[in-house]
Amino acid sequence: MEENAFDAVLRRHLKNLPEGAELPQDAPLKKFGLDSMQAVELLFDLEDELGVVLPDEMMTGDTFATAESLRRAVDDSAVGTS
Amino acid sequence: MTTTQARPAARQEIGDRVAAVLPVLREHARRVDADASFPTAPLEALRRCGLMGLLVPTAHGGLGGGLDDLVRVAAELSGECLSTGMIWAMHCQQVAALAVHAGPELRAGLLPRLAAGEVYVASVTSEKVKGGHLLSAHAPLRREGGRVHVDRDAPIVTGGSDADGFLITMKDSESAQPAEVSLVYADRAQLTVTHAEGFSWDPMGMRGTHSGPLHLSGVVSESAIVGGAGGFREVALRTFVPVGHIAWASCWLGAARGALRAVLELVRSPVGRKQFALDSDLLRARLARVRLDLDTTAALLAQVVRDTGLAPDPEAPDVQLRLNGLKVHAAERSFAVVDTLIEVVGLRHGYLRDASLPLERLFRDLRSASLNYANDRLLGANGALVLVDRGVGLAL
Repeated sequence: MEENAFDAVLRRHLKNLPEGAELPQDAPLKKFGLDSMQAVELLFDLEDELGVVLPDEMMTGDTFATAESLRRAVDDSAVGTS
Repeated sequence: MTTTQARPAARQEIGDRVAAVLPVLREHARRVDADASFPTAPLEALRRCGLMGLLVPTAHGGLGGGLDDLVRVAAELSGECLSTGMIWAMHCQQVAALAVHAGPELRAGLLPRLAAGEVYVASVTSEKVKGGHLLSAHAPLRREGGRVHVDRDAPIVTGGSDADGFLITMKDSESAQPAEVSLVYADRAQLTVTHAEGFSWDPMGMRGTHSGPLHLSGVVSESAIVGGAGGFREVALRTFVPVGHIAWASCWLGAARGALRAVLELVRSPVGRKQFALDSDLLRARLARVRLDLDTTAALLAQVVRDTGLAPDPEAPDVQLRLNGLKVHAAERSFAVVDTLIEVVGLRHGYLRDASLPLERLFRDLRSASLNYANDRLLGANGALVLVDRGVGLAL
């Protein structure tokens, strides 16, 4: 998976992350404005733009907790679909 | 809801307390609606009978009630006066947040006063800039010498003129993000409460839920922050939102049930038997629909109470779908019930303001239900959640 594509999609959904500011991989995404509804929109964008399909059981708070946890979930599902 | 060793008040005992206040609500309901005045006497009765402390643990002098008790009491009260029922139920929503999430110092000081009925707590969560977005705030807390300064405009506060305390959402600090929200408790005595000039309150229904804009400013201690600094999100997801939806749905369902009780009383009475053909297929089909609406709403309500007690992840799509769906369904069906009952009893009993049945008032009151945290917004959220629950996880 392309790192930059993932970051670009993710950052678009973090409305409280200033443009150009660094996104710590272990910081709670909720802090940057990602609520459960925005997580759904983020999921759709990730699936469209990265060509992955996340299983429904990944739609949990843990998956969307941090950039790191979400990246891991996307990586795993990319492996699963290849 | 409670973590105490002492035995909570039994259902019968709670029922007796409710029975004692219902006549007061009944007596004032018409006047509260006509004058659009706060139901001071009914609230006084609720304070005296201990029900303001329904959800306060027994260890702190409360009744130790759970969500199932909240549902039953809210429905009974709202069957007599929906405005009073809503005021009481929203107070219980604040009490639930305090009982579960307040720190030891605040619990020790405040919970006994809540149990004694000394403190009616109003909710301050809306802000001009954000409308109804519960999980964000813009007015910041300021900390100075270990004290916390609150300074906030509130565009609409139900019961704000009569409240003895306020639970207020604030941005945690000047530099915090709007999503870092702290929930702060303040006694009225700790605040300067300013009412906006020239505000008038003349709504279609829910006229007793006297609401208006306030400005609040004052200083509290750090221990007045409920759920920790920036911790409102967790308070909201675990307690505030589920208890709020359960409380509203219970009130609307109880009001609609009150309408059906009144209609059954009429059509089964000797006088009613002469006016209504109880063997009419149309009348029976309408009554069957009405009853089905009440039963399905009650069933969904019971499921959401179970979800709230059990769900390890309050953000799981199926849990969120039912929680949002309960609010939408209860709002739609309770209004539809009263609308149909007006059709059943006709102009004289259903449409006249001075009819002995309260259907005209309930029709106006329940029209607010879909707007009170808009159904449209919740349906939009649920539509997205349906798409990510491909297994369609029903509570079967």
